[in-house]
Amino acid sequence: MVRLSKWLLKEAGTGVNKTLSEILVCPLSKQALRVCEEPPSLISDSIGVSFPIKDGIPCLVPTDGKILDTDDTMKHDNAADDSADNK
Amino acid sequence: MHSLQFSIPLLPTSRFKRHSVRCASDRQQLFNRIAPVYDNLNDLLSLGQHRIWKRMAVSWSGAKTGDSLLDLCCGSGDLTFLMSEKAGADGKVIGLDFSKEQLSIASSRQYLLSKACYNNIEWVEADALDLPFSNGYFDAITMGYGLRNVVDKRRAMQEMFRVLKPGSRVSILDFNKSMQPFTALFQEWMFDNVVVPTATVYGLAKEYQYLKTSIDEFLTGKELEKLALDAGFSYARHYEIGGGLMGNLVAAR
Repeated sequence: MVRLSKWLLKEAGTGVNKTLSEILVCPLSKQALRVCEEPPSLISDSIGVSFPIKDGIPCLVPTDGKILDTDDTMKHDNAADDSADNK
Repeated sequence: MHSLQFSIPLLPTSRFKRHSVRCASDRQQLFNRIAPVYDNLNDLLSLGQHRIWKRMAVSWSGAKTGDSLLDLCCGSGDLTFLMSEKAGADGKVIGLDFSKEQLSIASSRQYLLSKACYNNIEWVEADALDLPFSNGYFDAITMGYGLRNVVDKRRAMQEMFRVLKPGSRVSILDFNKSMQPFTALFQEWMFDNVVVPTATVYGLAKEYQYLKTSIDEFLTGKELEKLALDAGFSYARHYEIGGGLMGNLVAAR
């Protein structure tokens, strides 16, 4: 029962562990991926595509990718600027 | 987020890609459908022998403690678990497949088997033709009964070559397309009288018909060696095992 709960907690977490996110690259551009917590996904900034993480398994088949709106990329830039300003 | 499905036509080689995606998609669905009975059928059809062939494939890969390993087309994870035992706690194994259902079963098996060393396994859904890894990352690669199912074998070999460290090996286990008439006849007989009837009982006759077609369309041992050498491997050798029914290609970068 304890083992099951621990396993479920891992699966319910950020979606993918840090080591794996460092190993993986974009399947198309072969450039680094950025982890997004909500929704759990891996972002390829080089081609503006996001790949989902489902049940802790990253889905990096090219057709799994979703093209990011410029709105989404701008939101990320604004958030980065805000945190820079706060510092 | 604007949920546009990633559109393949944006890519320059769009026409070729659209055809190959259609075929690959059919195969992906096929493997999703057979996932629930895949392991049982493998045991039944090979009388448990597949376990021996898989151990041989892992030995040939040269995988050892502490290595970073990749199991391509991992399916329900048989080879991945064997690689995990080789790598140990300090190593890392990626089990990669394009079938969500197979990976789901692999992930459940990892939990149920609950061997401590299996913590070094990570499952990734990806395409063997577009590997999500940087150049020269892995110490060894295995691929069991996968090469025959990829729509572009040349591209798969090139990707394997790219992600392997220099001096490392790939070990590819699959059916043998035999040039020996007796072996070929025996294989044919096995299919018609054992494989397809058994698969029919499970309601998967059509799917296992695909198996026969895929072997017919597969490459011989010599052709596989050439494929590996053309992809840049410095050494390639195809070994026949299981009485000539199976073959294991070993290639070194």
